[in-house]
Amino acid sequence: MSASSDQLVGQLSELLKDFTQDWDSEFEGEMTRDTRLLADLGFESIDIIQLVVAIEQMVKRSKLPFNELLMKDGRYVDDLSIGQIADFVATKI
Amino acid sequence: MGETVAGGVKLAWQQMGEGPDLVFVHGLAASRAFWFAQYALPLQDRYRCTMYDLRGHGYSERAAGGYSSTALAADLAALLDDLGIERCRLVGHSYGGGVALEYAATHPERVQALCVMDTKVNALQPRQMLADMPYLSPFEIDVAERSGIDWAVEEQIGLRFLEVVARLKAGNAELPSRDAVTPFGEGRGAARTARAWVDLIDTPGVREQLLQPGFSADELADKLRNMPLLLIYGELSRCMPSCRSLAALLPQAKVEVIAGGGHFFPLSHAASVRPRLERFLAASQL
Repeated sequence: MSASSDQLVGQLSELLKDFTQDWDSEFEGEMTRDTRLLADLGFESIDIIQLVVAIEQMVKRSKLPFNELLMKDGRYVDDLSIGQIADFVATKI
Repeated sequence: MGETVAGGVKLAWQQMGEGPDLVFVHGLAASRAFWFAQYALPLQDRYRCTMYDLRGHGYSERAAGGYSSTALAADLAALLDDLGIERCRLVGHSYGGGVALEYAATHPERVQALCVMDTKVNALQPRQMLADMPYLSPFEIDVAERSGIDWAVEEQIGLRFLEVVARLKAGNAELPSRDAVTPFGEGRGAARTARAWVDLIDTPGVREQLLQPGFSADELADKLRNMPLLLIYGELSRCMPSCRSLAALLPQAKVEVIAGGGHFFPLSHAASVRPRLERFLAASQL
C-alpha cells in the first residue's frame, strides 16, 4: 500500500465528513480505510456521482476512469470502501 | 458540475465529454446518477453529455410546486439557456421523457433528435391500470401484498407503486425480493432518498401536478412532426399504451421494444439499449 494511498485515505475522510454532516447518519467514530460508502455512511448513487466530481477537484484532475471503480459486470458495484477509492486514485494520478 | 437557478430553484447539473450536445432527463424519484455510469461515461468520447437533477430530486432544491411536465420543461429551458446550449439531442426516461417531450414541442428548433424511454404521456394515457400489463415481478408482488391497495382498480398504478415502495423503504422495511433495478436502491441511502420522495409526494398539489397533461395529442403531432424520434419501451412496461399512441401520432418515430424489459430497462438492459440509442444519435448527425 503506497504512502500516497494512505494520504488519500486521510483526505477522503475529511471530504466525506463534509458530505455526510447533514444526513442524520448513524455513523460514529473515525473513518478508516475500511469504512464503506453505502453500508457505513449511507450513500446513495447520486452521492457517489457527487463524490466523484469532488474527488476530481480535490486531486485537480479530470476524466479519471471512474467507471473502472464503479462498474463491475455492467452494474454498479454493491459498495466501495475508502481504501478502494484511495488505491484507485493513487494509481491514476 | 455546477448549479443554475431556474424559476427561483437551484438545479444541480454536470457535464462530461466533448462534442455535440446530448442532454439527459431522469424520471421521478431518480437523479442524474441514472445516466452517469452506463450512458454518460461511455458516450462522453463523442458527445458533451449534460445531466441534471430535476427540482425536488438529487442535489437540486425542492420547491413547493412546479412539478408538471410543462413546468419542468421550463426549468430545462432555463438550464440550457444558462449553459448556452442552443440545440441538442435530448433523451428522457419515464417522467423525464414527458419533460423532454414538452420541451421539444415547445422548442422544436432546439431539439435535433429526441429519444423517449418508457414514458407514460399523461395526455395520451390519462389512466395507467394493472390491466395495461398484467405481469408482476416477484418484487412487485411482495410490495403489492403489503400495501392493502386493490391494484386491479388503481388508476395510476406506476405512481402509486412508487409511493408504496417509498413508504416501505423510508421505514426501513425489509422486502424479501428485489428486481434487477428497484426504485430507490438498497440500504440507508435508499431510505434517505425514499423519505425525500415521500415528503415531495405529500406536498399538497404535487401529485396532481405529476398527473397534469401537457400538450394534447394533436399539438404533439403538429409540433413534433419533423423531429427525428426514437421511442424505446419495455416489453413488460405499463407505459406501452403511450408508445402506441405516440407511434400513431408521429409516423416518423422509430420504435424499439426491449424484450423482457420492465420500466427500468435503461439500467437493467443497458447493454442492448445503449447501442440502439447510439445508432439513432449517429443517424441524426446529418
